[in-house]
Amino acid sequence: MTSIPRARRPNPIADDGDEFHFCSTCAFSAACLESGYGKPELRELHVLVEHVGPYKEGEHIFREGDEFNAIAAVRAGTVKTYVNDAEGREQVQGFFLPGEVIGLSAISQGRYPCNAVALDSVMLCRFSFPTMAALATRMPGLQAQLFRLLSQDIGKAALLAGNYSADERMAAFLISLSRRYAARGFSARRFQLTMTRTDIANYLRLAAESVSRVLRRFQDEGLVRVERRDIELLDMPRLEGLARSVLRE
Amino acid sequence: MNTVPPFDAELLRRYDAPGPRYTSYPTAPQFSPAFGEAEFREHARRSNSDPIPRQLSLYVHVPYCFSPCFYCGCNRIITRDFGRSGPYLERLLREAEETSQLFDRDREVIQLHLGGGTPNFLRPAQIADLIEGLGRQFHFSRSERRDFSIEIDPRLIQRGDIAAYASIGLNRASLGVQDFDPEVQRAVNRIQSVEDTLAVIDECRRAGMRSVNVDLIYGLPKQTLAGFSATLDTVLEVRPDRLAIYGYAHMPELFKAQKQIVTADLPDPETKLKLLGLAIEKLSAAGYRYIGMDHFALPEDDLAQAQEAGGLHRNFMGYTTHADCDLLGLGMSAISHIGDSFSQNARDLPSWENALDQGRLPVWRGMTLNEDDVLRGDVIQQLMCQGEIDIASIEDRYDIDFASYFADAFPKLAGLEADGLVRREPTRIVATSRGRLLLRIIAMCFDRYLTQAADSAANRPRYSRVI
Repeated sequence: MTSIPRARRPNPIADDGDEFHFCSTCAFSAACLESGYGKPELRELHVLVEHVGPYKEGEHIFREGDEFNAIAAVRAGTVKTYVNDAEGREQVQGFFLPGEVIGLSAISQGRYPCNAVALDSVMLCRFSFPTMAALATRMPGLQAQLFRLLSQDIGKAALLAGNYSADERMAAFLISLSRRYAARGFSARRFQLTMTRTDIANYLRLAAESVSRVLRRFQDEGLVRVERRDIELLDMPRLEGLARSVLRE
Repeated sequence: MNTVPPFDAELLRRYDAPGPRYTSYPTAPQFSPAFGEAEFREHARRSNSDPIPRQLSLYVHVPYCFSPCFYCGCNRIITRDFGRSGPYLERLLREAEETSQLFDRDREVIQLHLGGGTPNFLRPAQIADLIEGLGRQFHFSRSERRDFSIEIDPRLIQRGDIAAYASIGLNRASLGVQDFDPEVQRAVNRIQSVEDTLAVIDECRRAGMRSVNVDLIYGLPKQTLAGFSATLDTVLEVRPDRLAIYGYAHMPELFKAQKQIVTADLPDPETKLKLLGLAIEKLSAAGYRYIGMDHFALPEDDLAQAQEAGGLHRNFMGYTTHADCDLLGLGMSAISHIGDSFSQNARDLPSWENALDQGRLPVWRGMTLNEDDVLRGDVIQQLMCQGEIDIASIEDRYDIDFASYFADAFPKLAGLEADGLVRREPTRIVATSRGRLLLRIIAMCFDRYLTQAADSAANRPRYSRVI
């Protein structure tokens, strides 16, 4: 049996932190530790995180226009961000997995420019942004980490803007999820698609039927195995090949 | 795995105790009225959200019968007024229209089954209207593999009916026979000639139906070894693709019609066992394969082939080759299995009608499955379909350690192993050839609700005897 945890529903917290240690999915632990700060030091600086949740499936974490005062990292579960266009149609902007930070795009405006909703049972780690920013001026590692997160967020949204085939989009989506889960210590090959078919379709700018059609073909060709929400990537090299143009490697 | 299992009277006698048939796990007695229309709609909505949503399987219940068979435990309405089918059909189509809107349009219907009651209480033109109406609401698969089947009471079949069924796309038929012995037929109030029955089977073949199933029952009043033997010979001569040999469950306190059966006419337990033994012997000699529970099929039939390939499934309609469909039941008392839920429609006609007339879906009761239910259901499904449990596949799929998860089942399994019903291997739990006629007994070891019920005997649901 494999010892790598599989991201099941609801996504588990790979390793819950305690008073002295960061959770293993913490978005900032690396930066803090690099700068010589552990959890006890951070608490003394009064920037330490507040654990919030669980949010239930369908519950909103923030809505467009809400005042921005905190950024939050996902500890467990999946968060979807979206906006409603002029016709009131939902446009999915992104999915956030454990260890990823939501609310970054609000920094410049002071207000959230999108809605964030829990797709399953979601736990968050919330940081006061002003305190965090003040700390970052004294902590180069933390500042670099913030910049890194910010640029990733921008990059992610732009990825699918190009003229890509349905196969390329789907492969890029799966490879991106795989890498992100792997980065947090989860299995890169088996995980659960916590978002609905409609959400995937919306995000990839495909019809819902096309999502199923492409996945069914991937399955017939031995690239993946799909069982309800569970997905297993069987042929990583071919998927990576398909994803390459979208992920710009 | 698929030869016909040897018959062991001593063993069967010892294990003749009440037990569920596991057409579902959890079984229907666990359904609760707290589960209603809102929950049904929510599960239907969710079922669309899988990356590859399941195909659909439709079950349509036609409750009417023109005459009561005394052995029957089904939910049906006896009437000679064939005019009642019109309004029923009209409401059925309304239910289909309401329900179809809950499912995404690209979800194909790969299986359709008309059951009852007596589906051919409806005239072929009405059945054509029904199927055409369903075809407008749902997206019928055009695949060669689609199974559109009908249960037939041969006594109601008129010349040309079968050809009409085939022309509207029905490709499988299941005939109720039970026993040709005239004494038995009188005792159960079902007079059905050999000639007419065989003529219907012949017509099914000429119309190009892909398979014909015949239902027989052992343990009926006045049944004798000689009479049942003759019935088996007659049936086997025309080689139906599939055969179901059901044991009659005498539970008159539950099924009113059974009160008409004279208890003294029932074969004693010894004879009942011999009847089953006889059937198994004859089917085996005729080259049939054992599918599981009460079902047998010719080696070239889809069911036998699917079992070989590990693609066999079991649901309320029996065994099927269509894995993992969402099952949608339409009509009075019909059961649905959508995503992780079971639900059942109103069991009496007025409640079913009223709900539809008031614009509601006629959901009466149901349940949302938890992870434990799904896992145990999977284990029982493997046992019922393949005759064995693949431990690694369960551990892998559910992230559990099988031995510790089912620690409470192991002492019971050890008992069955001592009796030679199961064999425990490191990677599998296998029903032995002796145990294959007692799959229910083995499955019961994994049924959490039975363990609970045993603790409060008063609440224990009533099941038919295993044999």
